[in-house]
Amino acid sequence: MGVVDQKPAFTLPADLSADRPPERRGLSRDQVRLLIIDRHANSFTHTRFDRITGFLAPGDLLVFNSSRTLPAALIGKARDSALTIEVRLAELLPDGTWLALLVPSSPKKMEELFTQGLIVDFEWDLNCEVLKQDRRIPRLWQLRFSKTGTAFLDLLYRIGQPIRYRYLSAPWRLSYYQNVYAIQPGASEMASAGRAFSWKLLLQLRNQGVESASITLHTGLSSYLDGELDRQHVVSEEKYSVSEEAADKIRRTRNSGHRIIAVGTTVVRALESAAAEFGGEVKACHQYTKLRITADYHLQIVSGLLTGLHEPEASHLELLAAFVPPEKIYAAYHEAIQRRYLWHEFGDLNLIL
Amino acid sequence: MKLLAGKFALITGASQGLGRELALTYAREGVRGLALVARSKDLLQSLASEIYRIRPNLNVAIINADLGSSVEVERVAAVTLAACEGRLDILVNNASTIGPVPMPYLLDYPADDFHQVLNVNLIAPFLLIQNLLAAMIDHGGSIINVTSDAGRVGYPGWGAYGISKFGLEGLSQTWAAELAKTDVRINWIDPGNMNTAMHREAEPDEDPTAWSDPAAVTDIFVFLASDSGQHVRGERLEAQSKWRARLQKG
Repeated sequence: MGVVDQKPAFTLPADLSADRPPERRGLSRDQVRLLIIDRHANSFTHTRFDRITGFLAPGDLLVFNSSRTLPAALIGKARDSALTIEVRLAELLPDGTWLALLVPSSPKKMEELFTQGLIVDFEWDLNCEVLKQDRRIPRLWQLRFSKTGTAFLDLLYRIGQPIRYRYLSAPWRLSYYQNVYAIQPGASEMASAGRAFSWKLLLQLRNQGVESASITLHTGLSSYLDGELDRQHVVSEEKYSVSEEAADKIRRTRNSGHRIIAVGTTVVRALESAAAEFGGEVKACHQYTKLRITADYHLQIVSGLLTGLHEPEASHLELLAAFVPPEKIYAAYHEAIQRRYLWHEFGDLNLIL
Repeated sequence: MKLLAGKFALITGASQGLGRELALTYAREGVRGLALVARSKDLLQSLASEIYRIRPNLNVAIINADLGSSVEVERVAAVTLAACEGRLDILVNNASTIGPVPMPYLLDYPADDFHQVLNVNLIAPFLLIQNLLAAMIDHGGSIINVTSDAGRVGYPGWGAYGISKFGLEGLSQTWAAELAKTDVRINWIDPGNMNTAMHREAEPDEDPTAWSDPAAVTDIFVFLASDSGQHVRGERLEAQSKWRARLQKG
């Protein structure tokens, strides 16, 4: 039974969207609320994130996604036209081109623009050629920018803004969209499950004997700004990397019988994909995955998950069902709504152990 | 074996003076890569050409940025992280601005200039460390902040510059305390009087030939960045004193 097959089992009140970072609501980043779901008992615990230390034991391994958020939204102009186009970068392809969502300022369809041949110009002499429409996700287009590598990254930081959604109260700066431990620039949107970790807390966990490792999976877009397409939960192909060091730590943690806790659904996807690839063991790799994790998926590596609170129709909910039955998730979410937890990237968190 | 073999270093204020000498010296000492930050793209490109003559295949990222802007600091961090592939070993916060010249008394100091000097000399090192720590903490690293005797003594006319260096010394001490249980080391060096463009501009009536050549003080920066200096942490060092004898005594 998958969550995706069911009607939404809860309604998210609009005022429970976190419209600003915790630091702008009088909290430090690690003081958001934490809802803990015990996989093996029928109980929920409500606490504060910086008290997570009390729920982790020496030898447990936290696996982070080291992907760093890009200013992935660029405003450009269609060449020889007055039309403004917002480009939201979704994925860097192996040949150096990008898949991106294109949002024209007028209701004119992208398909119409494309038949005329389309080049989009940005500031700093950057431009991109629109090559073709993506077959699986038609809202995405393949683009070739006039710069690549670190030269492109440099310009992106001069021109781009973080991808932001309507529920925000202000255009928060990129620095609010970073996890403190993120070292690999490449995410279209923040892998937000780890946002609440402060350095103080990370060092405290380290001193407590909780281990840590990192994988990289650059998160794509969470919305194609198309309700129907978003509801289809098209499983995108994503690239992930596991280092030798991370694979070793995972192996050692499993052998010692301690828990492997994924910080974010991207980490679950990467580790379980690696295990599926290598016969149940995680090895160092750079791979692409199309793995879809749902209620009936048998998790081989990950025993716990730290994640945000997801919207009723979010595809992440079906992944959560691989850890706990959907009805238990909904019961926990009902409590979260009653207690006025906050949703989205600057909101509260959920730990499943 | 070169002292900095396999290490990746970020140097701010790299286009002239001490920063430029450090870039050349680190290249000679075998670094795996360099990220060089300065406002002048032309001077950085000329430095890169000189580095390629020493190390033709060295990974050199030139980052043309004004560290007075925190948005620019984010760009510097991202390009550095991409260039070093997420593993940084050495961060030298060398960039400084002297502020308006002739140097006004505090009573006459324009507030905008005061902010700008603090942004470049104090806030940028804070933000760079904050943004790049994650790329150092798992395997260890060396952070070196460049200070001045004006950071210990309030000289008339040295206004915002001196105050920013007082701040940098405090910043360095606090980072050192917070990172005491990690493998990331923070030290801060007072290079002493050097014959640099900035110093000549600050004190046009003095004789610059009495000051040290920046190349004469790079050895301490190599030592602290190298594994030989890994026992030194949380220290203020004066480059033109007998630091070597003191440190080697442990």
